[in-house]
Amino acid sequence: MLYYLTKRLGLSAVVIGLVVLVLFSLLHFIPGDPATIALGPRATEEAIARYAEKMHLNEPVWRQFLIYIGNALTGDLGLDVFSDRPVTAIIMERICFTLALVGAGMGWAMLLGIPLGCLAAVKPNSWLDRVTGVLSVGTIAVPSFLVSIWALLIFAVQLRWLPAIGAGEPGQIGDQLMHLILPAFAIGLSWVGYLARMVRASMLEVMGENYIRSARAFGLQPRRVIFGYALRVAILPTITLIGMGFGGMISSTVFAEIIFARPGLGKLIFDAVMARNFPIVQGAVLVATGLYILVVLFSDILIAWFDPRVRESL
Amino acid sequence: MPKDALHSPETLLDVRNLSVDFRTPRGRVKALRDISFPIRKNRIVGIVGESGSGKSTVLWALLGLLAKNADVMGGEVRFGDRDLLQASEAQLRATRGEEISVVFQDPMTSQIPVLTYGRQMLDILYRRPNVSAAEKRRLAVEMLGKVGIPDPDKRIDQYPHHFSGGMRQRAGIAMALLTGPQLLLADEPTTALDVTMEAQIIHLLQDLQKELDATVVVVSHNLGLIAELCDDVVVMYAGEVIEAGEVREIFHNAQHPYTRALLECDPARIDDVSRKLPVIPGDIPDLTKPRSGCIYAPRCQRALPVCHETLPPDVARGETSLARCHLLDGLHHDPSWPPPLDVMTVGQEGSAGTKPARAKHDAALLEVSELNVQFETIGPLRARLKGLSQRHVDAVLDVGLSVAPGETVGLVGESGSGKTTLGRCVLNLVPSQAGSVRFEGKEIRNMPEARFKPLRRDMAMMFQDPVGSLSPRKSVRALITEPFQIHDITGVDLDAEAERLAEMVRLPKHFLSRYPHELSGGQARRVGVARALALNPKLIIADEPTAGLDVSVQGEILNLMADLQAEHGLGYLIITHNLPVVRHIADRLAIMYLGRIVEEGRTDEVFARPVHPYTRALVEGVPQPDPDRRRVHVSISGEVPSLLNRPKGCDFAGRCPFAQDRCRAEKPPHVTMADGRRHACHFPLG
Ligand SMILES: Nc1ncnc2c1ncn2[C@@H]1O[C@H](COP(=O)(O)OP(=O)(O)OP(=O)(O)O)[C@@H](O)[C@H]1O
Ligand code: SF4
Ligand code: SF4
Ligand SMILES: [Mg+2]
Repeated sequence: MLYYLTKRLGLSAVVIGLVVLVLFSLLHFIPGDPATIALGPRATEEAIARYAEKMHLNEPVWRQFLIYIGNALTGDLGLDVFSDRPVTAIIMERICFTLALVGAGMGWAMLLGIPLGCLAAVKPNSWLDRVTGVLSVGTIAVPSFLVSIWALLIFAVQLRWLPAIGAGEPGQIGDQLMHLILPAFAIGLSWVGYLARMVRASMLEVMGENYIRSARAFGLQPRRVIFGYALRVAILPTITLIGMGFGGMISSTVFAEIIFARPGLGKLIFDAVMARNFPIVQGAVLVATGLYILVVLFSDILIAWFDPRVRESL
Repeated sequence: MPKDALHSPETLLDVRNLSVDFRTPRGRVKALRDISFPIRKNRIVGIVGESGSGKSTVLWALLGLLAKNADVMGGEVRFGDRDLLQASEAQLRATRGEEISVVFQDPMTSQIPVLTYGRQMLDILYRRPNVSAAEKRRLAVEMLGKVGIPDPDKRIDQYPHHFSGGMRQRAGIAMALLTGPQLLLADEPTTALDVTMEAQIIHLLQDLQKELDATVVVVSHNLGLIAELCDDVVVMYAGEVIEAGEVREIFHNAQHPYTRALLECDPARIDDVSRKLPVIPGDIPDLTKPRSGCIYAPRCQRALPVCHETLPPDVARGETSLARCHLLDGLHHDPSWPPPLDVMTVGQEGSAGTKPARAKHDAALLEVSELNVQFETIGPLRARLKGLSQRHVDAVLDVGLSVAPGETVGLVGESGSGKTTLGRCVLNLVPSQAGSVRFEGKEIRNMPEARFKPLRRDMAMMFQDPVGSLSPRKSVRALITEPFQIHDITGVDLDAEAERLAEMVRLPKHFLSRYPHELSGGQARRVGVARALALNPKLIIADEPTAGLDVSVQGEILNLMADLQAEHGLGYLIITHNLPVVRHIADRLAIMYLGRIVEEGRTDEVFARPVHPYTRALVEGVPQPDPDRRRVHVSISGEVPSLLNRPKGCDFAGRCPFAQDRCRAEKPPHVTMADGRRHACHFPLG
């Protein structure tokens, strides 16, 4: 286990290192002066000189890279070009909005999709199964930004049931929750379909296993057989899927945050890209990558926790 | 059985006129047709029959757990004063596990891998709200101890994958008996296990049945197991009960021609190994349109014209026996049937009778000496982290073996003994670490594939799982000519070759356009033989050539292999754990244990006078298809140790009844005796 964790963490570090390298090269190998690129064409000579000094742009490239890594390790991701505030602080302000959105989106998708897939598998070809099938295909096919726009138009603009933009007043949980509903709905919807299909497929497979027949032959109640036995095994590939799908989830939050004007990480990246605010882009992408790696790691650990065979092979 | 016996108070469960259909795309498979038999209290009842005869269907019907596409077409299953076929789902659930419980065929797949035994056993006791969890656990531990699991209070918290196959089946029995059921059903309880384990499980079931006063139904195709374990026997064929009776009646005085044929085909029963094996010609009939007369008529050696038209009567004999055949009663009654036991009623296929004399062997075709195969178990980094110096297991250790042209060598061992690895290593599919492998005098060990490839034409492999190893999307014609393509052999007429090979393995020509899933087990095996023969090899390595085949078909394949050998002078290396089979076909035997050959010699001598204690345990471990030759005790206990902790001295020391201090300290070297037999034991049996 310890060996496994070390290996995984080491691997994660390598991935993050590569991401930094790519981001860094993006900035440094685009033709033109990095400072001008970073600050935009309208920057003054003086600003460029100051920036170059601050970003160690006069050092050789490899040193710049090492300096960036070293700083990143201590939590210093540089300064915002416009406000001069530390990038880390800006990201920290925003990240909880994104986490809340991802959590809520994935949460409701799991709460609905997993039981739906389960029930569909238990009674294949029943009306519930068919409805689930149609629903899955329907929701998987629709991109989340379309859902976002339609949800916004219908529920916020037309019906006025829910607030349209922003993340709610700071400190007011109720208001913040109301603001969370629409974007979470938008990014979770296709996941309901995904999860239902995935769980259905693996449940169908597991329900045909000998040990399920054993459990039934010992007279266990259907509920126990389905949720205590079959789902326990069938959930494993789903956990992996969720972990891997987390990256896609983050990219759909970008759309949702833009459309609903939520001050999250996605919106931050978007705005920074538009404004060519590269330190922010670099920092935010780095944090998002780190988040992704953490989630995948967590999902693997979860699988190990559920499956003793995996646990021991670690 | 006589109808009044059905109502006697000693009947615990009574199956009456049960019919079950399966809905399939091919039509309705009439898997059970009007079958009746009683199960008497406190007895062990065996249901025996070939694959597809409906044995499992009966069991699952009793529990109401038939597959979703099954329809019960009629009948009753009387259990006490209830009819289980009419019971509601809730009533059935209350019966399952409590009153009727099951031991499953394959303990590797029938226990959920992600829950501990403790959890699984507690779940089974969920209907006991008054018993505390601690008390339930105590009951479970006690039961695990009873079935022979050491340290049950620790092992109960382990998962199935921590248990070896035999242990798992013990745990499976413990789970089934936990609630103290009146009736225990066991579907092929030992089929997935090794010979020495099988013997232990048979005895365990027997002891527990006596101790707990339970009634047991055992389903099996293994006649030896039925003879050894059961009191009553029900013989099924193609969805019908064709004979039933007490075990001695069935084995010593079988009335039905099929029962008789089945017994005659069992190689374990045939002492005269010089003869070809008897077979029942033909296949099990198509159950989508069963015939109107006797279901066995197309294969029956005694069929009369009437048999094809009229259903034969159920003829009772005495209180408890019954057989369904025209010869036994009525107009066509034949008092000379059944003939005495020593008269063979089935033919030997081709009926020439004697096996061809074997060629005198001179130079060895294959010669293996001091061969070592190691598998790396963990990476170098992890080994260092865990402080292990040894990173390998020895899967094959100092093995010497030779096969001459025209000779058959049997390589026998239990699962994990390294026999398949050895076979694969000879074929250069697994790299080896030391020793030598010579084919026709040429060293071929670890030869690069490019140089080895031409040799693959001379050495062919027959795989263990016939259907699984055939690509499902290729026709039989494509499959048996595939070797030509693999070796880029052009200039042969593939169609002609396909027909030649099909004829060689006696596969009717119209089978050439079929696909693997349309073949029976025996036919698929023939395709495997044809493929192996395609390029006229000199040596064939056959991995379990008859595993999973019914006895009636097994003989066909073995006879076929013997004929081909006589004709083409093939050398065979036959890898198997089936001793009765090798006894018939092998000239020499090599017994493997934990990667080492512990005994090697002429088959007849090894069987008559085993020198190594393990060989003796194996030979004695085969259950005899004769209820009068039941063993009173099993000669060895325990299981094959893991390769990961190979004992320091003799590998067998932990289980050997003759082990002494020296055995535990030093590994016995290979010794050649005066008569040419080799063994590895410090204290060989006299
Ligand atoms: N779910 C199913 N759908 C269709 N046909 C089935 C199904 N289960 C069994 N059958 C058919 O019913 C017949 C009886 O099968 P069953 O499994 O009871 O035989 P068996 O005697 O247990 O054989 P084996 O020794 O191979 O286990 C066979 O012809 C089989 O092909
Ligand atoms: S009834 Fe006829 S075909 Fe059937 S077993 Fe008897 S003799 Fe053979
Ligand atoms: S060497 Fe000893 S332990 Fe090994 S088989 Fe011989 S007697 Fe038994
Ligand atoms: Mg079966």
